[in-house]
Amino acid sequence: MGKDAELLKKLKDSSLKEHAFSELLDRYQERLYWHIRKIVITHENANDVLQDTFIRIYKGIHNFQEKSSLHTWMYRIAFNESIRFLEKNRKKRYDNIDAISESNLEVLFEDEYFDGDEIQIKLTKIINEFTQKQKQVFQMKYFDNLSFRQISEILEVPESTLKSIYYKTVKIIEEKIVL
Amino acid sequence: MKIIKEDNKQFLKKDSERDLFTHHKKYLGTEVPEGYFLKSKNQILNKINTDIILEEVNEVKKHFVFWIRPPYKYIAAASLVFILSLTIWLQKPYEEDILKEVNTDLLMFSDTVLIESLLVEENEVDAFADITLFREILVKSELFEQKIDNLVFENLILEDSLIHNYLDDGLIETIIL
Repeated sequence: MGKDAELLKKLKDSSLKEHAFSELLDRYQERLYWHIRKIVITHENANDVLQDTFIRIYKGIHNFQEKSSLHTWMYRIAFNESIRFLEKNRKKRYDNIDAISESNLEVLFEDEYFDGDEIQIKLTKIINEFTQKQKQVFQMKYFDNLSFRQISEILEVPESTLKSIYYKTVKIIEEKIVL
Repeated sequence: MKIIKEDNKQFLKKDSERDLFTHHKKYLGTEVPEGYFLKSKNQILNKINTDIILEEVNEVKKHFVFWIRPPYKYIAAASLVFILSLTIWLQKPYEEDILKEVNTDLLMFSDTVLIESLLVEENEVDAFADITLFREILVKSELFEQKIDNLVFENLILEDSLIHNYLDDGLIETIIL
């Protein structure tokens, strides 16, 4: 996090901003991409959302009040941009996304950058059967390797609730994969 | 996915200092085109530069349209309000203006009198008030008298002309008959 503080200082200095932003991209681009990809499913959509996310970060960095870490703040922007993208494209509230999980899978299987075998498809299907909250928590914790505190800041859910959700999802996956 | 099968129940418990691409490919089967992140980085930087240039162009445009800028907007709005007020004020009847002027004068006058009255003797204030009231009554009665005179005079003229007309017509008719 020390490196982030230094980077943030440069980002807020207009003479160093360009160079610092390039460094920020090197450091976080891939992590944010995978976070977005799991929400918007296809590579093409993830690419669009990633660009919008970084543009928003670039424009908003001066207003970042450092109440959370830079990392968490960027994740939150990426998450919000992904939700906005889904809402715009599907013209539905994100709360209803559980109802269209089947179509999510179809979209994923049609994506040219998905090459899952039987077990990967099985895992994807299990995750897809989770409620939206379970899915977000599991993906952020397991795939994005975020701490419960960070997830709590992003989703605005108490850490204890997150822990309970995560362990429940892990249990479900373990049972279903073994079977 | 052999890895998952081999790892069996342990795959979720492994610690995670890992390559994200491999990790996602390994468990979810998702991948990205070759050299994607480098290409994407350049695209983002180009897009940001384009956005900055566009914003600068918009700023320049805003400078050209000077009358839309806030300070000019306020001045224009204030001028408009002033012109409207002036128009309404000028459209009011003349007599009302005179009355208002008189009333304002009287008000100012009475204020002065009241303030001054605190500093002078009571009998002097009474005498001053008497004179002022006398003057006001005198002016009002004078104006009233003038109005009555005008009214009577106008009526007389009107009646005379009608009588004359009547008499003229009557005389002519009498003469003809």
